[in-house]
Amino acid sequence: MINVRDIRDAARDLLAKGEVRAVIGYRRGSRGMAAEPVVITAPEQADELVWDPTCFHNLALYLVEDRKFLAHSRKAPGAPIAIIAKGCDARAIVVLMQEHYFKREEVYIIGVSCEGVGVLDERKLAGHVPGTPTDAAFEGDDFVFTTPEGEKRLPAREVMADRCLECRAPFPKEHNVVFGEDKTGRELAAPFAALARFEEQGATERWDFWRRQFERCIRCFACRSVCPMCYCDECVVDSITFPVAPETTADEKANRIRWIERSAVRSENITYHMTRAMHLAGRCIDCGECERVCPVNIPLRLLNNKMEREARERFGYEPGASIGAASLVASFNDSDPGSFIR
Amino acid sequence: MEKILHKERIDDWISALTGWEVLSPALEDGIWAYRPVSGAIRLDHPNTTQPPKGLAFPQREVFFSFEQIKGEAPRLTQILPDTVQRAVFGVRPCDGRGAVRMDRVFGDHVEDTYYQARRKNVAYVGLACNQPPSANCFCLSVGGSPVSTDGLDVLLTDLGDRYFVAAVTETGKALMTAANSLFDEPADADRQQLKSVHTEALAQPQRAVHNPDAVPAKLKASFKSPLWEELARACIGCGICTFLCPTCHCFDINDEVTGSAPLKGNRVRTWDNCQFPDFTMHTSGHNPRPTVGARLRQRVCHKFQYFPENFGMPQCTGCGRCISECPVGIDIVSVVNKVVEHAG
Repeated sequence: MINVRDIRDAARDLLAKGEVRAVIGYRRGSRGMAAEPVVITAPEQADELVWDPTCFHNLALYLVEDRKFLAHSRKAPGAPIAIIAKGCDARAIVVLMQEHYFKREEVYIIGVSCEGVGVLDERKLAGHVPGTPTDAAFEGDDFVFTTPEGEKRLPAREVMADRCLECRAPFPKEHNVVFGEDKTGRELAAPFAALARFEEQGATERWDFWRRQFERCIRCFACRSVCPMCYCDECVVDSITFPVAPETTADEKANRIRWIERSAVRSENITYHMTRAMHLAGRCIDCGECERVCPVNIPLRLLNNKMEREARERFGYEPGASIGAASLVASFNDSDPGSFIR
Repeated sequence: MEKILHKERIDDWISALTGWEVLSPALEDGIWAYRPVSGAIRLDHPNTTQPPKGLAFPQREVFFSFEQIKGEAPRLTQILPDTVQRAVFGVRPCDGRGAVRMDRVFGDHVEDTYYQARRKNVAYVGLACNQPPSANCFCLSVGGSPVSTDGLDVLLTDLGDRYFVAAVTETGKALMTAANSLFDEPADADRQQLKSVHTEALAQPQRAVHNPDAVPAKLKASFKSPLWEELARACIGCGICTFLCPTCHCFDINDEVTGSAPLKGNRVRTWDNCQFPDFTMHTSGHNPRPTVGARLRQRVCHKFQYFPENFGMPQCTGCGRCISECPVGIDIVSVVNKVVEHAG
């Protein structure tokens, strides 16, 4: 069991000694029980940090934000930035390093093992807990919720996120310091279980399913915004977020090709989601954030899992496993399957 | 007009509404949404993920289509909204009040023909909130109430085995008259119960904006506050908060080309979103709201300062969707309170 005091002590110590310039972590939020991301810069703020089943966010996103901020303000990074990272978050950080987004020594990884469990899926909680819980805690294989009617204990696996049930690497291998035991191999569900269930259907059913899902996409772009891998300054779905400089000509702006229209209609929505899935192939580490944040409940993990499994089965590639490994799409092996090239 | 409707008769009422397409909350694909009624309706919904705003102001609407044959004048074909009358059942009072604000925006200074054409065909049959449907409700802080009739045509109040049905507008009366025989006259006991249910509803605890009357002036004084960046630090810049809002109304107009020989396409209005980085991007490349803090400030000040200045009421109706659905816990109640507190 991880004692949150250990995480706070580590953060406080790092900040006090000036070994890091900030710590990206979780604190208690103001909406219900959920934790929220926080960036602390002073040792005394360390007491705000929390670690509980609502720490679902993949904080690697804020490393990307930090890097963009530094680049924009032309500031030297100075001391490294520390980040609290679960197994999946640490894999995301490794992918960013594989892609040379930042260097290993620029980030101080405070690893937290998910041990035997994972994080909560708030949607699964409905009906399990009376009223609105105000707090959640890990306790062995259970989650314990504080509700208006007292404590409620639930086996974690009943309300855990699917991605956690299927997680193959709940321990952050890449770390500077780590809390919690390595319980890798404690698979609660088979890897890619949800995808396998989905794929039992025929092609027609699957296509009908996706048409229905994408029909209701409202193009809030939360899936893209929350993804640490979607760091491009310029995105194919935006008509005008390409970098505009004073020297960009009117012609360049006017003739910008709009690959995907702004209308949130099925054809455009499908193109958007398919494009994103392709761009995540061999990069997505299945933190499942895209699926968690979708306000209209589109099961986006199924798409990204599909790409992840292709990379694994065809190329033996696991994204985020090793900083030194060449990324999937930037490397070639003679043994790579080529039967699809005609 | 005030009546009593036994719950088992509500489906008969809906069937009697000939000439109306009736929508009601449905739990589909894990989310609550207004859907055309098929079979028995249920009104046990918390609140829908999206408000009914889109019926009058859809996320996408085509104004006209165009076609240009070489050597000829371009041909434009106006596309008008359909004229189907729609009655929406189960609308929460916050969303009724949302419609009031939308009506002001699209009717006060300039009449938006497309909005008005749709709006006049929509009727809202509201449902009072005996219990707050969400832990993030705060309608009482923004001049609303869980039993408000603003913007609604009818208000239903759940009295256990029956509804107390009150017409608010002439349209509401017409909806009730269409099924006159299904309704009973309320007895004194019904009115007593209504009163106590409403009193209890008003006493339910909610989130609260402190000292709401002082908010516009305090926000105005806080335009340059460094707090905005701090409060927006976790913001990922997605569009959930505004796309789910019952009162956000910003839009964009684009020509969407559908063919090149001959050139043809549609002029389309789509929702826009002040939380997107390109929302205020100028053609020069200058962006007056270049950061998440500036964009959070825009959203909050529009709801709590600019709109009160322009229309004499807060724009926010306290539904709490932007709080509940924010992926990273940005909480408009807490943001307003912190900025106001900081302003001293």
